[in-house]
Amino acid sequence: MELKAENLEIGYGDKVIVNGFSMNIERGKITTIIGPNGSGKSTVLKAVTRLIKYQGGVVYLNGREISEMKPKELARTLGVLPQIHSAPSDFRVRELVSYGRMPHQKPFSKKSEEDERIIRWAMTETGTWQLRDKSIYEISGGETQRVWIATVLAQKPEMLFLDEPTTYLDISHQLETMQLVKKLNKETGIGVVMVLHDLTQALEVSDHIIVIKDGKKYSEGVPEEVITEKMMREVYNVDCDIIKIAGRDKPLIAYKQIGA
Amino acid sequence: MKMKNKASNSILRAGAVWTVLIAGIAAAFLAAVVIGSSRITLGEVFSVFNGTAENKVRVIVTQLRLPRAILSLIVGACLSAAGALLQAVMKNPLADPGSIGVSAGASTAAITVLLLFPNLSYSVPLFAFGGAALACVLIYLMAWKDGVDPVRIILSGVAVNSVLGGYNSFLQLQNSDNLQGVLAFMNGSFAGATWQNVRIMGLYAAIGMVMVVLCIKSANALQLGDEMAKNLGVRVNLSRIALSAVAAFLSAATVSQIGMIGFVGLVAPHIARMLSGSDYKVMVPTAILTGSLTVLLADTVGRSVLPGTEIPVGVMMSVFGGPFFLYMLRKRGNFHGA
Ligand SMILES: Nc1ncnc2c1ncn2[C@@H]1O[C@H](COP(=O)(O)OP(=O)(O)OP(=O)(O)O)[C@@H](O)[C@H]1O
Ligand SMILES: [Mg+2]
Repeated sequence: MELKAENLEIGYGDKVIVNGFSMNIERGKITTIIGPNGSGKSTVLKAVTRLIKYQGGVVYLNGREISEMKPKELARTLGVLPQIHSAPSDFRVRELVSYGRMPHQKPFSKKSEEDERIIRWAMTETGTWQLRDKSIYEISGGETQRVWIATVLAQKPEMLFLDEPTTYLDISHQLETMQLVKKLNKETGIGVVMVLHDLTQALEVSDHIIVIKDGKKYSEGVPEEVITEKMMREVYNVDCDIIKIAGRDKPLIAYKQIGA
Repeated sequence: MKMKNKASNSILRAGAVWTVLIAGIAAAFLAAVVIGSSRITLGEVFSVFNGTAENKVRVIVTQLRLPRAILSLIVGACLSAAGALLQAVMKNPLADPGSIGVSAGASTAAITVLLLFPNLSYSVPLFAFGGAALACVLIYLMAWKDGVDPVRIILSGVAVNSVLGGYNSFLQLQNSDNLQGVLAFMNGSFAGATWQNVRIMGLYAAIGMVMVVLCIKSANALQLGDEMAKNLGVRVNLSRIALSAVAAFLSAATVSQIGMIGFVGLVAPHIARMLSGSDYKVMVPTAILTGSLTVLLADTVGRSVLPGTEIPVGVMMSVFGGPFFLYMLRKRGNFHGA
C-alpha cells in the first residue's frame, strides 16, 4: 500500500492551516510526523485519512484518489486512532474492539466467525485479550491505549495512523506502546504513520521522519538526517546536543540545561 | 473461566431486566384496566373476555380502558426511542424531542389552527405533525455549516424554540378566553383515547420502530466520537440527520395524536442506560420498555388519584419526572457516555 499526498491545502473555515504539503508514505514503513504544538500535524493526519476535508491538492491511496472511495472501503484500508477519543464508560474492552469490524460488516449482519477470529487476533497481538471482560474505565492508561490500538487493528487496515499514541502515558507505558507499534510493523508488515512528541522515541522507531513547522514541511528523511541540532533550533527553538553513545544504535538528544 | 462467567452475566442481565420490565408492564396494564372512577374487579375483566360481562362493564373495558392503556404503551415506547436516538445524535444526555423543536413546532401549528382557524380543528393532528417536522427541518438548516454539529443543533434549537414560544404565548394572550383546546393540547392527555387513535399511533410506531432498528449501529458508532465513527466508515452527517429524522417522526406522531408529554424522552433512556449500559442494541429495547411502563403508570395514577378529576399525563410526567430525574442524577452522580 502506498499513500501519496500532493500539494495539500487544509484549513478550518477561512483559516488556512497547512499549505503546499506533499508526502509519500511507502508500504510497510514506520513514518513519524513531528513538529511543535499547533504546527498542523493532526490536521495533516486527519486530511490524508479523510476525517476532515482538504481544500486543495490530492491524496492517492494505491493510485486512487481517496475522495472517490466509499467510506467503508477507506475504513478497510486505513485505520486511524485520533488524538482525542472516548467511549461510554460501561463499554467492555471486547465490545469496543469489536467496533473495529464495522467496516467489514453489512448494515444488519451479526458478527461472523471471521470477525470473532480477527477480534481475538487483534487483542492477542496487543496483549489485551486477558482484559476482554473489563470495562474500559477499569484499566490503566497504557492498557486503554492498547485497547484502542486493538480496535483500529481489528479493521485489518493496511496502514495504521496513530495521533500521539503515547501522550498522557508514563514512560514505561510509552515504551510499551512504542514496542507494540514496532512489533506490529515487523510481524504483520502493517504500515504505520504516527505523530510523536518524544523525539528520542521517534529516532528509535521510525524509518522515516517528516518535520512540520507552521503548516509547512520543513524537512524529511531518515531519522538521523532529520533530527539535527540545526533543526531543533529552527523548528523548536531549542538548543541541544545530539550525541552518539557506544552500544546504542541511535543517538540521544541532550537538551540545554534548564536554568543554564 | 471467571471471565467467561462475567461475559455471559451481562447477557443474562439484559434478559433479566427485560423480563422484570415486561412483568411490570403486564401488572400495570392489569391495574390500568381495573382501576378507575368505576371500579371493576378482576373477575369482571375476565368475564369480558369470555363474553359473560354486563354491557356497562364491557364498554368500559373494551372501549375506554383497553385502548387508553395500549395507547399509553405505544406513546411511551415512541417517545423513549426518540429520546435515545437524540442523545446519540447530540452526544448529550439532556437532548430530547423538545430540543429539536418538535414540541414547539407542533404547538405553534396546533395553536394557530385552534385559535385562528377553528373550523379546521379536526385536522389539528395533521397540522401538529407538519409543524413539528417543519420546526425540526428549520433547526437543522440553521445548524448546517459543512455538516451538522451537535452544539450548533442545540443552539439553533434554543433559538427556534424561543421564537416559536414567544409567538405561542402572544397568540394565547390575545385569545385568553378561548384556550380550552390549546391547554388540552399543551398538556398531553389520553382522555378520550379511542381504538382509532391506537390504530393510527400503532401504524406510526410500527414504521418508526423499523427505522429505529436500522439506526442502532450508527447510534452506537457515534458514541465513540465523530472521528472514530468516520474512521469506522460511518457517514457521520448523514447518520445524524437520519437518526434525528426518525426521532422527529416518532415524537411528532405522538404529539399529533395526544398532545405534548415531556420528560419521558429524557428519563426513559437514562434509566435504560443505568440498567443496561450504553450499547444501543440492549439500551434501546430497555428504554422502550421503561418508557411504556412509565407512561402507563403515570396515566393510571393521574386519572385515579384525585376523585372526580383527571390529571393529564403530560402534567403527571412534568411534576414527577423532574424530581425523579434530579434524584437519579444525584444518586448516580455521573453520566455514562456523555
Ligand atoms: N477544528 C478546528 N477548528 C479551527 N481551528 C483548528 C481546529 N483544529 C485545529 N485548529 C488549528 O489548526 C492549527 C493546527 O492544529 P493541529 O491540531 O493540526 O496541530 P498539531 O500539530 O496536531 O498540534 P498538537 O501537537 O498540539 O497536537 C492550530 O492553530 C489549531 O488552533
Ligand atoms: Mg495534534
